[in-house]
Amino acid sequence: MPNVFAVPVFFICFRECLETSIIVSVLLAFLKQTLGPEHDAVLRKKLVRQVWFGIALGIFICLCIGAGIIGTFYTAGQRVFERAEWIWEGVFALVASIIITLMGAALLRVNKMQDKWRSKIAKAMEANDLSLKTNGKIKRWAERYAMFLLPFITVLREGVEAILFIAGVGVGLPAKSFPLAVICGLIAGVAVGYLIYKGGNSASLQIFLIISTCFLYLVAAGLFSKGVWDLEQNAWVKLAGEGAAEAGAGPGSYDIRKSVWHVNCCSPLENGDGGWGVFNSLFGWQNSATYGSVISYNLYWLVVIIGFLLAAYQERTGHWPLQRPKASAQEVPSEITSEHETDTEKKKHEGVTSSEVREVPA
Amino acid sequence: MALSLSSFLVPISLLLVSGGYCATVTYDFDVGWVHANPDEAFNRPTIGINGQWPIPPIVATKGDRIVVNVKNSLSNESTSLHFHGLYQNGSTHMDGPPSVTQCGIAPGSSFTYNFTVDQPGTYWYHSHSRGQYPDGLRGPLIIHDPDSPHKDLYDEEIVLTFSDWYHDLMDGLLAGFISIANPSGAEPVPNAALVNDTQNLTVSITPGKTYLFRMVNMGAFAAQYVWFEHHTMQIVEVDGIYTEPTDADMIYMTAAQRYSVLITAKNTSDANFAFVGSMDQDLFDVIPDGLNPNVTGWLVYDNGKDKPAPQEVDAFEPFDDFTLVPVDKEEAYSHVDHTVQLDLKMDNLNDGANYAFFNDVTYVAPKVPTLYTALSTGANATDPAIYGSNTNQFVLGANEVVEIVLNNNDPGKHPFHLHGHAFQVVSRSDEEAGSYDASNAPELPATPMRRDTILVRPNGNVVLRFRADNPGIWLFHCHIEWHVASGLIATLIENPLGLQDQLAGKIPQNHLDACKTSNEPTEGNAAGNTVDLLDLTGEYKSPGELPAGFTARGIVALVFSCIAAFLGMAVISWYGIQPVKAKTG
Repeated sequence: MPNVFAVPVFFICFRECLETSIIVSVLLAFLKQTLGPEHDAVLRKKLVRQVWFGIALGIFICLCIGAGIIGTFYTAGQRVFERAEWIWEGVFALVASIIITLMGAALLRVNKMQDKWRSKIAKAMEANDLSLKTNGKIKRWAERYAMFLLPFITVLREGVEAILFIAGVGVGLPAKSFPLAVICGLIAGVAVGYLIYKGGNSASLQIFLIISTCFLYLVAAGLFSKGVWDLEQNAWVKLAGEGAAEAGAGPGSYDIRKSVWHVNCCSPLENGDGGWGVFNSLFGWQNSATYGSVISYNLYWLVVIIGFLLAAYQERTGHWPLQRPKASAQEVPSEITSEHETDTEKKKHEGVTSSEVREVPA
Repeated sequence: MALSLSSFLVPISLLLVSGGYCATVTYDFDVGWVHANPDEAFNRPTIGINGQWPIPPIVATKGDRIVVNVKNSLSNESTSLHFHGLYQNGSTHMDGPPSVTQCGIAPGSSFTYNFTVDQPGTYWYHSHSRGQYPDGLRGPLIIHDPDSPHKDLYDEEIVLTFSDWYHDLMDGLLAGFISIANPSGAEPVPNAALVNDTQNLTVSITPGKTYLFRMVNMGAFAAQYVWFEHHTMQIVEVDGIYTEPTDADMIYMTAAQRYSVLITAKNTSDANFAFVGSMDQDLFDVIPDGLNPNVTGWLVYDNGKDKPAPQEVDAFEPFDDFTLVPVDKEEAYSHVDHTVQLDLKMDNLNDGANYAFFNDVTYVAPKVPTLYTALSTGANATDPAIYGSNTNQFVLGANEVVEIVLNNNDPGKHPFHLHGHAFQVVSRSDEEAGSYDASNAPELPATPMRRDTILVRPNGNVVLRFRADNPGIWLFHCHIEWHVASGLIATLIENPLGLQDQLAGKIPQNHLDACKTSNEPTEGNAAGNTVDLLDLTGEYKSPGELPAGFTARGIVALVFSCIAAFLGMAVISWYGIQPVKAKTG
């Protein structure tokens, strides 16, 4: 199964697509809200069309970039990777794990994500408003097509991000394991995004998101452990040369000095042992665990647990532990603080931007 | 007084009876380091004798007494000499393997081998100390026979030794071979092949004459295909056993095997002819770039003519030695008293290195040489347990017909050698035949070939029979020196009580001194325990087995990892389920 379905790739696609869906839904909701039925239906339609056009163009360009990167990788880059396969796989697994870890939590705060984008859009509108004074044809054009540019740029950004992540996670995976995972990820992302748009942040949706986040972190923990394992395997293959490769899953395929457990079966690397590759992608299973892979796995969870406890603490009290409350917390220009703007502030933004939008000439 | 006098007189009278035939051949060997460059590619330290390398052949006539006084001047390695193929009847203590029939000869000390030879043929001698002979300490040993059945068939005899050759010293190669860095047990590949310890050898041939070529493979590892261009070999002896003359175009000679072949020279001296020894590259794990597996020599009829380069051969199709028939027509033993089954495998132990096993036991030399254990333990000498847990020991009764069934559960070719006997080869399978099944075996040959070193094919089997009529401690081992080091050895303890009658109290003082010098005990069980012979505490043992799957450590690690994951997901869920100060729009 890992040969046709790369689980980390699926999750990255899912995550990025969900974020894009949320942006789009925020934009559409925004238009709906500000240009309600009492307003000019033609103008609204036009703006909605702009949004979709921006999305479509963004996706198209992303696909081109992705195809280009994959193309170069599987032609020119492959040899470079093969030479130091374990190092590349290890480093990319670690990087992917860290990226997933940092961005994964946002899934649990979809409403925060929505807020973030709402405020971003609002700010963008504001900026357009201010820059009007400096004038110029370009500015005018940008202002006129704001509803095109915003989704276009965000889709492009998320898309390129996804491509880079996938490239990172996907090193060492066979090319055929990508398409299905990417398509499933996109479909799932769009579906959940649509649910959010339609039903808001319902309880069952929240449970769904919790479950997928748990999976996401399981994958990331496995990736982290696998990254360490790969680097150790690189050292072992260097030491034992041909012999290590010949040994398959048997004695000699691993460094006995670092072994915590080893079973002569169930190797995720052996093609015949099918299912174990899934366990490897999902949970970082190794038939030959090392001190490094076990300790890194546990350490990963420790850090994640601490991180979530800290985040929960911060959400409750408004400041981090060991930090002076309130006053200083406000000064921290982090995303989280910006997401905690009061409702009145938010309304103010919306008020400003919506008036601006109305003034966009038809 | 009368007793001692008579026992003194008996050997003398025997000497007198056998008259002029019996001579004593004495060799003084000062074993020490020299430098040699036989393949003209690399000058390396080599073990020579009396400052010379190649080392001298030992030559004697049937019935002679051979005395070899060895002085070890190596300074950094102990040594020993084994006389390969000699039965050493009544003199198992002269057989040579350290920790088996003697203690190693420590640097600076001397040791005397003294025995008679009643068997004619082509043999060789070599160090039996750990991995030592490929460093140079190996040479031919020829026992002439005035009564040879073939003596009228040839005019002259020529000795040809074949060998592989390494540029590196065995010490370093062995350290790399039995190492965690070599988990597959890939044997070091030789750098060159030699014939008579050189290359491009020329052998002067007189037209019309017939020559007896005594050929020895004294290599460490590689078997060699041997052929003489445009000349047919007629095999007349293998490993000291005369055979009915049998034609062969190409023979396959494993490490330690010998063949004597008759070659009749052409009647004209129009051209010279190449002969080739070609190392069997199937044995090599990875064939290094630029390795020349061949060594070439020439039958030179006319010195003024060209020495043509050898022709390429289409395929190696060597003669099958299983079909040979001994001249004495000794019939196959039809009744077997004692079957020794040996299942061969290669595996890794918990130091990560690769070892070789018989019946899941890899050989580790005991503290007390096995012979000295047998001689010092009285009636207990028949109890296999006292010989240790890593010696693969089998106690054979007097005059039993013994059958060794060797199942090679390894995809490599192995040349197996038995000390103290030539065995009948009653069955040998093709490769991939699996284990020997007596109920489903082909009919035994009536007069099977006998020899002392036999090839067993990859994942095949071989069945050998002999009569236990030679009390002694005899090793049965693979003659690939790498596999000797990795433990592919069994110990046959043949008629230990008869052995005590022969030798108890008669071990020469210089043999016992060798043990004293190297601080090795000469009494007691394998662990040197003289009181409780079944107490093997302190014996030398192999590294432990690889841990099987999940040990306590693994289970703890797995449980901890699972707990960590569940705890982590619990925290994530807890965080996710918390009501957020909602600002849904």
